[in-house]
Amino acid sequence: MSEKTPEKIKYRILRFLDVTGFTVFDPVVRLAFREEPRKQIESITKFLVVPTLFVALCVGLWWVVAPNHKTKSGEVPTPNIVFSSALINDTFSEREKTKESDFLLSGDARVQALQEVDTLMSELEAELATLKSTLTEQESLYKASLASQIDPIEEKLDALKAENRQARTDRSQSIEALSLEVASGRAPNSELVEAIRKDNELYAAGRQAENVFKDQIEAIRSDKFKPLETARLDVNAVADEIQFLKKRQAFLSDSNRSVKLEQTKDKLAAQDGKLADADDAKAVLKEAKSLVRLENGVERLETQQYASAMTIYLQIKRSLFTVFVGFLMAAAIAIPIGILCGLNKIAMACLTPIISIFKPVSPVVWLLIFQIIVGAFFPDPETHPFFLFFDSIPFINSLGINPALIFSACTVAMCAVWPALVNTALGVSSIDRDHLNVARVLRLGFWDRLTKIIIPSSLPLVFAGLRISLGVGWMVLIAAEALSSSDGLGKFVWDEYQNGSSFSFANIIYACFVVGLIGFLLDRMMIVFQRLVSFDRSESTV
Amino acid sequence: MSYLEIKNANIGFGPESNRTQVLNSINLSVERNEFVAIIGFSGSGKSTLMSLLAGLEKADTGGVYLDGQEISGPGPDRGIMFQNYSLLPWLSVFENIALAVRQVFPGYSKTQTNEHVERYIGMVNLLPAVDKKPHELSGGMRQRVSLARTLSMQPEVLLLDEPLSALDALTRSNIQDEIIRIWNEDRRTVVMITNDVDEALLMADRIVPLTMGPEATLSQAFDVPLARPRDRATLNANPEYRRLRTEIANFLIEMNEESKRLRSSPDLKMPDVTPHDFTTATSAAFREFSETDVFQLEQEEKAG
Amino acid sequence: MTTPNNDTRIGGIGWRGRGYRTIDTANLSTLKIMKTLKRSLITAIAAFVPLGFAGTLDLEKDELKFGFIKLTDCAPIVIAKENGYFEDEGLQVEVTAQPNWKQLLDNVINGELDGAHMLSGQPIAATIGFGTKAHIVTAYTLDLNGNGITVSNDIWKQMQENDPALDTDTPEHPITAEALKPIVDEAKDFGEKLPMGMVFPVSTHNYEIRYWLAAAGIHPGMYTSTDIKGMTNGDIELSTTPPPQMPATLESGKNVAYCVGEPWNQQAVSKGIGVPVTTNYDIWKNNPEKVFGVTKKWAEENPNTHIAVVKALIRAGKWLDATDESGAFLNREEACRILSQKNYVGADYDVLKNSMTGFFYFQKTDKRSMPEFNVFFKGHATYPWYSDGIWFLTQMRRWGQITEPKPEEWYHETVRDVYLPDVYLQAAEHLLEEGHIEKSEIPWETDGYKPPTDDFIDGITYDARDPIGYLNAHTIGNKDDS
Repeated sequence: MSEKTPEKIKYRILRFLDVTGFTVFDPVVRLAFREEPRKQIESITKFLVVPTLFVALCVGLWWVVAPNHKTKSGEVPTPNIVFSSALINDTFSEREKTKESDFLLSGDARVQALQEVDTLMSELEAELATLKSTLTEQESLYKASLASQIDPIEEKLDALKAENRQARTDRSQSIEALSLEVASGRAPNSELVEAIRKDNELYAAGRQAENVFKDQIEAIRSDKFKPLETARLDVNAVADEIQFLKKRQAFLSDSNRSVKLEQTKDKLAAQDGKLADADDAKAVLKEAKSLVRLENGVERLETQQYASAMTIYLQIKRSLFTVFVGFLMAAAIAIPIGILCGLNKIAMACLTPIISIFKPVSPVVWLLIFQIIVGAFFPDPETHPFFLFFDSIPFINSLGINPALIFSACTVAMCAVWPALVNTALGVSSIDRDHLNVARVLRLGFWDRLTKIIIPSSLPLVFAGLRISLGVGWMVLIAAEALSSSDGLGKFVWDEYQNGSSFSFANIIYACFVVGLIGFLLDRMMIVFQRLVSFDRSESTV
Repeated sequence: MSYLEIKNANIGFGPESNRTQVLNSINLSVERNEFVAIIGFSGSGKSTLMSLLAGLEKADTGGVYLDGQEISGPGPDRGIMFQNYSLLPWLSVFENIALAVRQVFPGYSKTQTNEHVERYIGMVNLLPAVDKKPHELSGGMRQRVSLARTLSMQPEVLLLDEPLSALDALTRSNIQDEIIRIWNEDRRTVVMITNDVDEALLMADRIVPLTMGPEATLSQAFDVPLARPRDRATLNANPEYRRLRTEIANFLIEMNEESKRLRSSPDLKMPDVTPHDFTTATSAAFREFSETDVFQLEQEEKAG
Repeated sequence: MTTPNNDTRIGGIGWRGRGYRTIDTANLSTLKIMKTLKRSLITAIAAFVPLGFAGTLDLEKDELKFGFIKLTDCAPIVIAKENGYFEDEGLQVEVTAQPNWKQLLDNVINGELDGAHMLSGQPIAATIGFGTKAHIVTAYTLDLNGNGITVSNDIWKQMQENDPALDTDTPEHPITAEALKPIVDEAKDFGEKLPMGMVFPVSTHNYEIRYWLAAAGIHPGMYTSTDIKGMTNGDIELSTTPPPQMPATLESGKNVAYCVGEPWNQQAVSKGIGVPVTTNYDIWKNNPEKVFGVTKKWAEENPNTHIAVVKALIRAGKWLDATDESGAFLNREEACRILSQKNYVGADYDVLKNSMTGFFYFQKTDKRSMPEFNVFFKGHATYPWYSDGIWFLTQMRRWGQITEPKPEEWYHETVRDVYLPDVYLQAAEHLLEEGHIEKSEIPWETDGYKPPTDDFIDGITYDARDPIGYLNAHTIGNKDDS
């Protein structure tokens, strides 16, 4: 038994790797179980170490090449900058969480947290003061160094400018004189023309010479002064932290839920008295109304939640939700229609023109169409029964079902439906004749034939189609969100592009990796499903 | 009137203008409880004939009659065992058979179904592999599952379409024994297609050769009056057996040559060249690929 | 971003799907009063007797969603949220960035947004039906000034050649388009029209860059009933580009000049792509820039909510413009910190800071003090002046966006359909009573028309009471018989 168990474990792990499509790690597992170590090490080197080195080489290349490519929107960020932008996004999200918990804190915990924030605040303010003085220092240093570099050039430039100006004036005087001579016939016309030509040439040459100096000055100015940059970043970092702490203070005091609730309750208590004191009808009405309003206020405050800003994690969540809605819509349309097409040649012939024409249409076009259609469907989304229905279901109402979600999902579905449909039709129509003969010999009815023979036999192809669909859907969704600015990763990318801050470029590249990684995981998930339904155990292409 | 009858059946493929006649005026009568083997070359239309019997294919003219009733389509009364097993790969051995059983015996309770299925799995000695999927089984095992499935439907007529062609010699003889044993027990009517004369002689009551296609037809039948049970080991020594074997083999070879003559177009003059004989080995190989098909060589060797 | 929301759904994903209507009978009666006594301001105010503490209005709706474009002048909306002014009114407000002005307007019209940061021309154009037709109204002007015209480095060099006076680090302002004209003419000789960018057909930027060009004799092109791009007869080609893309188009050569709000001019300086030559402060001193727009339907259905929103915005504007005795801004740096958050404007703090704290870089070496580059409150800036609206109408007519000549009364009537000073004054009344503002900060007695002014780059006098006369005073553009 002791001999067998490791074998079993090994088999299990290998099987897991096989199903998830990570067969590349096979040799590692085998090596761990001391199975033909030489062979395993060889394949590890070939298929793990070399690719890893290659990726490392690519990253290295990126690191080297990026800073050399200066765009006007800033330098191409190096991997470490992209990584720090990931950290910044994480901090942003962390801060949101902190603010949320601050908002909900009550009692002694709130007071204590407030004290902590206050002490932290005073520390940071002191730090900010020193940093600011460093910044001023660096600024004056930079100015001095700039001046020391530029002043001599500027002097030369000014001299050159004066010289050129003088030369030009001289030339124009001599041309004037020449023109008088020409007019009186003492000099040939060609001489004057030649002089003007010469003047223009000399003028252009003069400008050229000036521009050389100007460019030099420009180059010096656009060179970044590292210590100043660092000082500025330091100040900004601390100032941001202080801004955050200020907000925390607010959430721990006046804006805190429990505090607000307390205040409103106090007012409500006082209002009872006011209502009792009121004597004429008008006053009674007024006080009673206030009372009801206060009651409503208490009720609202009790259930109030913190409205978090959209952090990248929330955007990811939103995108994933949208893509699954769209994907399920696509599957729900594609599979039945695909089966119909696979079974019936006439249905296939009917749908072929539609599929052929709509399949290549760009997602952008679909997005616009659905945006208009969905918009027209729900002229007043707030009171539309469709959304009211979703809002009335617990849990579902927390998912944020709104027109933006619907048209994004529709766009995803519209683009993702084709691979699934075509593959389903193919799977159904290419079913093994022998399997159909079995059904005929057994005299299976239509329903049994469909559920027992046709669908199981086409499942591997259906899932292969669904896998492509999900990949397409994910790609389309990001574009759709970017274009329509509906929440999700696409909006994150678009907003970053619009922000144009010094970290925007890095954030876009970070988002690129996030989108890629999630796309990869979705694909892996579909591979697992595909492997589970495929009876032939053929390798899935990666 | 025989139990199972094919009357003057014709089957062709392709459009009217260019129709290829596959089976030409086929006539066959099979008695109840008889074991008939149809022997023929590859591509002669054996499988089409089997499909015709099963009702999977419809004759252009003529028809198939079972117990006097014309067959209009496939049904579980004629259990067909396909050449390539036709197991459903997404179902386990048990489920493959249970699917047939549930369909043929809809009145069975769950336990009855299970017992029935297990009986037939036991019959082909596959109980240990009952939960395996077809791709986890060897070819012979799959063939046995297929046999079990066909038998589990308890058909009146058993149609075996080259059931053993894809198997190695050992498995082959095992399943041959199995089929004969089951046929002996149940005494059903069997029509088996094969390309192996020995197999036909071992198993069948009657052997009907199918001529070379296209326009294949059934020629004169050979009765096999050998006593049962036939023992593979001693059969070779039986003079009757040897006579029949030679007779059938000769018949087949003759048929083959005749069809070759018919096939080569008389208008097309072959060039009068003989390939240069470099070495005997290469020339042998050359001959093998240019003149005859491998199957024919085998037949000749066997006949010799 | 940080204001709590009584929305129980996960994080900020939630969309206010459950805004409920609570118009009870009492509310309906106030509505009725409001309608019957609309012209009589004093009586109307009497209907909303303040109750002495914040959040005293009978709100019709308390969960709101506002849209904005990533520009510094969205600041009042952002500040009203961040500083809790909306909350003080009992409003839960979510603010979301919109990709462009068209989408923003569409979202307001289709109800996705309750209100938005809009170009001054947008409510007017939507109401008269140029572009998307919808009745949009405004009761609050968000800010004055704040735009600049930036030219590419190459054009700037050529302008310097044409006018040696510009060839210094600190040329004298205002810079007119005179030095640009030879370049335009030369390009035209080669059969080429210089491409320039503005942000939206009915944006202040469009009218400002046209005004600036036309003042120097460069024809910016006319809109006609068939040419909705406004390029007919133009010496240049002026087209629409969303603000954040402006620097990129300048860099790629798709535009050689553009007119846009902040931070996109300062961005061009800090990236070294172009040179801002003028600001709209020089084109028209203290011109109205953005407004807070809502649909007329929304305004009618939510009169008290509308007042509450304007109250919060007035407080935000006042906070933004608060100065110490020396005139230095007290809160602008903090505002920049908030705006630089990625869910608001998101640009670098150091870039935002320039113009917002009263400075403007015309070149890296040319930093000038412009304390009135952004005016968010002072000088009665936020009051919805009829005269401001009429100026936009005259420009729409001047450039042919209004294809037919209109009588003078039409101008006055149209602007009254769009601008709602009543709402503004009611909000101010509440704030005065609550002690948030002082009496002098609101133009209580005005009829909505500013006195005539000639603070324009070409010195032409604008008198809102005589729109046709103003129209006819210009050389380039449509002229009408009065």
